[in-house]
Amino acid sequence: MASRDVVHYDTPLQRVLRVLAVIFVVLYLIWTLLPFVIMFVSSFKDLLAAFKLPEVGDWMGIGVFFDFTPTYKHYATLFQENNFGRYIMNSLIAAGGSAVISVIFGSLAAYSLSRVDFRGKSDLFFWIISTRMAPVVAVMVPLFAIFRSLDLVGTLPGLILAYTTFNLPFAIWILKGFFDNVPYGIEEAQMVDGATRFQAFTSILPLVAPGIGAFIVLCVLFAWNDFLFAAIIGSGGAKTLPVATRELVQPQNIQWGAIMAAGVVTTAPMMLLGLVIRKYLVTGLTMGAVKE
Amino acid sequence: MATVTIRNVWKYYNQTPAVKDLNLTCPDGSFVSILGPSGCGKSSTMRMLAGLEHISAGDILFDDVRINDLAPKDRDVAMVFENYALYPHKTVFENIANPLRLRKASEATIKDRVNGAAKLLEISHLLDRRPSELSGGQKQRVAIGRAIVREPKLFLFDEPIAHLDAKLRAHMRGEIKHLQKTLGTTMIYVTHDQLEALSMADYIAVMHDGELQQWGTPSEIFNHPVNAWVAGFVGEPAMNFVTAEIRGGGDGVTLKHANFEIPLLASQVGKLNGAAQAGTARMGVRPDALTISMTRPDGPAITGVIFVNELLGGDMLVEVQLQDVRMRVKTSTDFAGKPGETCWLTVNREKWHVFDAGDGHAYF
Repeated sequence: MASRDVVHYDTPLQRVLRVLAVIFVVLYLIWTLLPFVIMFVSSFKDLLAAFKLPEVGDWMGIGVFFDFTPTYKHYATLFQENNFGRYIMNSLIAAGGSAVISVIFGSLAAYSLSRVDFRGKSDLFFWIISTRMAPVVAVMVPLFAIFRSLDLVGTLPGLILAYTTFNLPFAIWILKGFFDNVPYGIEEAQMVDGATRFQAFTSILPLVAPGIGAFIVLCVLFAWNDFLFAAIIGSGGAKTLPVATRELVQPQNIQWGAIMAAGVVTTAPMMLLGLVIRKYLVTGLTMGAVKE
Repeated sequence: MATVTIRNVWKYYNQTPAVKDLNLTCPDGSFVSILGPSGCGKSSTMRMLAGLEHISAGDILFDDVRINDLAPKDRDVAMVFENYALYPHKTVFENIANPLRLRKASEATIKDRVNGAAKLLEISHLLDRRPSELSGGQKQRVAIGRAIVREPKLFLFDEPIAHLDAKLRAHMRGEIKHLQKTLGTTMIYVTHDQLEALSMADYIAVMHDGELQQWGTPSEIFNHPVNAWVAGFVGEPAMNFVTAEIRGGGDGVTLKHANFEIPLLASQVGKLNGAAQAGTARMGVRPDALTISMTRPDGPAITGVIFVNELLGGDMLVEVQLQDVRMRVKTSTDFAGKPGETCWLTVNREKWHVFDAGDGHAYF
């Protein structure tokens, strides 16, 4: 898929539109990035400095925002008093665990759905997708009842299971598209070369790696950012970062500094992950869609 | 090395039969070509041999051992696919080494054998590349390399050179035939190109609509087709067919048509058994068994009008309009006739055929 040169001829209208487009992009960038900037900067300010604002209309006073002495005390509070190290681990285990389990079962199921014809296949496939159609909130109460009777509430395995329930159909759905695009001839060649069916399956996994990569990212993002499951099913023993951050809001005392620091701690890993696999993610998501 | 026996084999896709009661025996070390148009069941047959498709009924035997229920990996066959089916994420070396790795050969053996195969196929300089960096002909060599790197009982080639350009195809025909003779392994080669089958195979199995039409050497298939379908499929340009009437009896049997009346040779009269006499039949003549002239020749000839002349490099193909059909004649490039002119065609009666007008079987 080589990019093509787009031939275009400027009219005055297009020039105006181009300027407008630039303005729009700049505003959009400010709109999306400013909260992160404020969060990041505020996490290094003590409370007094954080709430120092310039007068309304005083654009020259904007420097006030950056006039502070950096302090690391909020981060120290998080890790020393609030046990955030543990919550980071919980988040990592819950997100990573469900991603790994979903990929293993998802790729096996997607491969079967892609390669084998059996009775009721299309119904089965629709049913798998349809489990994602109901809003999560709608099934939360029954799910909680089931998890409670299985003693899974407040445990990491419980949380992993809950995330997997929602990630697995997604994995099957995405990966089936990728398997569909791998020519069956490659596995046939493998089998004639002397591979078992399972070896043939594993041999084409590198070809769906972009799909698996893309899925893992989406799956980790979903679990990492999730609040609802974590608050209801993970509460207590399996507290994750979003829930722990929420608990920094106490009736008498909203710990703004710690909340900002927790926001940075929660956001930074996902941003890094996004940067590292950005290229992968784009090829992954488009490769399944366009047949070459 | 193996003798391959296909015994009463059927292949059904749902209710549709793709292969009907196929019987074949491929002698040990022979080069057998399965020839037929697309949809004739030749690829299904090959895939049943490889173990990629179930056999609906019948048996396939390698050296008298029934292999119906063996997985592909246990059949010890090597296959070259029409689309090559190389592993895109592996280098050429790893592609060729794959069958050996799956059989857990030692690293030294693998290196040795892969380099040997690469040398034979003249792709040694490509071993570090990936399939996406190769041309069609090179990919095809890699696919063959993957097949010959171990010594299987049987080679299965499924239209391996169909996607190459004409020049390379002609070159590869010779190479594949030479390779098979060098290795001495039984080879089954599926193709829809009659030229490939005629030029390479020791034996040809012609298939049509899932049924075996004829089994024989290339010369038998070309010179003595068993029916009109085989006669029309094999040979380029294709055989001319003219429906004519059989006249007379005893020694004086002729083929009568509005444009000609030609007597059969004495030896051919006997082959028209009594039932066919005094009825219609289909005369079949290859374009190179006809001679065209602009003056009336001595002896029986076909009268027609030139429709068009086509120059085919070294030869000229002339289409001649008869009352109801057109006949193609191969002649030399200095032929001077022009479209619209009357001409006469003389038939080489040693090389003509007469087919039954109904089921198309050949009388001779």
